[in-house]
Amino acid sequence: MKIRFGALLLGLGICLSGCGDKEEDGKKSYALVTTGAVGFWEICKKGGEDAGAELGVQVETLMPDGSTEQRKALEDLISKGVDGISVAAIDPENQADIFGEVADNTLLITMDTDAPKSKRQVYIGMDNYNAGWMCGELVKEALPEGGEVILFIGRLEQENAKRRRQGVIDCWRERKKDSSRYDLPGEVVKGEKYTVLATRTDEINMAKAKENVEDELTKNPDVDAMVGLFAYNPPIILDVLRERGDLGKVKIIGFDEDEETLQGIVDGQIAGTVVQDPYAYGNQSIKVLHALATGDDSVIPENKLFDIPARMIRKDNVEAFWKDLNEKLGK
Amino acid sequence: MKNIRGIFITLVVVYVVTAILNDKFLGGYNQSKQLERTGLYGILSLGVAFVIITRGIDLSIGSVVCLVGCGVPWLVVRHGWSPASAVSLGLLVGFLIGLFHGLLITKLKLQPFVVTLCGLLIYRGATRGLTDDQSQGFGSGFKEFREWGTGEIELVGKFSLPYPFLILVVLSIAAWIFLRKTIWGRYLFALGNNEEAARLSGINTDRMIILSYVICSMLAALGGMLFILNGNTAQPSAYGNFFELYAIAAAVLGGCSLRGGEGTILGVLIGTAVMQVLKNMINLVTWLETHMEFLIVGLVLLAAVVMDEIVKRRAAKKRLT
Repeated sequence: MKIRFGALLLGLGICLSGCGDKEEDGKKSYALVTTGAVGFWEICKKGGEDAGAELGVQVETLMPDGSTEQRKALEDLISKGVDGISVAAIDPENQADIFGEVADNTLLITMDTDAPKSKRQVYIGMDNYNAGWMCGELVKEALPEGGEVILFIGRLEQENAKRRRQGVIDCWRERKKDSSRYDLPGEVVKGEKYTVLATRTDEINMAKAKENVEDELTKNPDVDAMVGLFAYNPPIILDVLRERGDLGKVKIIGFDEDEETLQGIVDGQIAGTVVQDPYAYGNQSIKVLHALATGDDSVIPENKLFDIPARMIRKDNVEAFWKDLNEKLGK
Repeated sequence: MKNIRGIFITLVVVYVVTAILNDKFLGGYNQSKQLERTGLYGILSLGVAFVIITRGIDLSIGSVVCLVGCGVPWLVVRHGWSPASAVSLGLLVGFLIGLFHGLLITKLKLQPFVVTLCGLLIYRGATRGLTDDQSQGFGSGFKEFREWGTGEIELVGKFSLPYPFLILVVLSIAAWIFLRKTIWGRYLFALGNNEEAARLSGINTDRMIILSYVICSMLAALGGMLFILNGNTAQPSAYGNFFELYAIAAAVLGGCSLRGGEGTILGVLIGTAVMQVLKNMINLVTWLETHMEFLIVGLVLLAAVVMDEIVKRRAAKKRLT
């Protein structure tokens, strides 16, 4: 038994040494670390890979689920000795120490959600509060007379989600911009013209997201608009309304660039969406990291923010946007 | 020893394979991290092992981790409690939860699966309500308190012994003594093998079963505290999700039988280590895509169980002939 086991190990060793992780001599390697595995991050990954191919460097993307897993992913990348990491923060206030550990060992930048108190060199992304505000504007366009609205979102514990939602609400209530404000999700938020009946979270569970929409429609059949704030929310809202034959009765406003969302805008079933540019997040991340790793600090702007602004997509510009996106994704 | 041969071989194989695939795997920093993770998850596995030995199950572990892991920083940071009182309350909550489960299971004769499944839902829901679904953590403060989860004794190079691992070692020794050197340990195994017979021979089985759930929930509470002290950030909707399954898998892989009456502490520790090293391997080896994690972990665990069974059968055959 023992001999056989030894032989097995040896054989395995020989097999595997052929396909080991050889660092192609002198090639720099960088990593993108996301907040989960959803379509949005797949676009980001593609952007990073394209930059990697262009610069001749290795790029890998880790998509950990939640902050405990993200910590592990970052530690493992430190172990591996990559030359730089671009990470999307989940809880910037409390992740300072792990980000500090990364920064002590390799280059650190942030994307999508910033961690301004960490030792990150630069942030690549947009302001979620402003993007939420844009989404609020789209709702105003769709419902100029005001009305009752329900918000659907993955998680509210994530900084970007919180700020995005607050941007929408503050836009409707015509408050002065202040991204540190927070209206509790359990309460009905009543503005002059717009009322937020509820904010429903689904913990990035698609089945739950669908049930949320169905249950809210049962509870509030006269709701005027539904807003999906994570990429997969708008298609799910669309799907449920289509199933019920209620398309057109309830306005849909989206966020991000899911294909179903874009198709919905083309077909006139979704009023509009606010898009970020995840491709640019990944692409720019790798380019900035590589510049820093090769000693070029000039890429970093003085305010340490690399703004990639969000855009409003409506029926008039959806086709041009979609075409451009497909070209980037090589479709 | 027979019970843990399969899982031990699996650990060795995973170690050798990963070391071949990435030369950084054996580095001091990475090895310390493996010890730290084994420490954190191992405390949960240790707890569930007690319950499994009595032929029970505890599905609420992840939610207890969530409740206490989010609750402690919530009390300390938001409500100004001292760390000592928050920790005491955390452990008390663990104790009460275990007592609650144990009483329902022994006095009302409810099935452990159902009782703890309800617990899984209740404690997570309570945490989310309590914290308004807000991320919890200590920010940049409470460095001394957090040492319990982040501290380490430095040895050579970047290799060090993390506190959570040392805590696990101490708890394991205590658990081993309890299970193997005291009469109560024998009672636990006896009632796991045959509860009726154990009761008829004069063992207060109800009390022993309640004790096992109390130990399990208190260790889950302690684990939850160490997790948050270590990681510093917890999202109530997801924190600790699936941790009970990792704990149960580690215990079963380590030789605890779900049919009760069997289990070793060393096996549980090795089982925990296998799970953590496997995940580390998937992150370290670039061509292993991280979204294949569950596939790879599942296949390796299945292989380990199959191998274990084959080895056992061969040994049994030999004894017969």
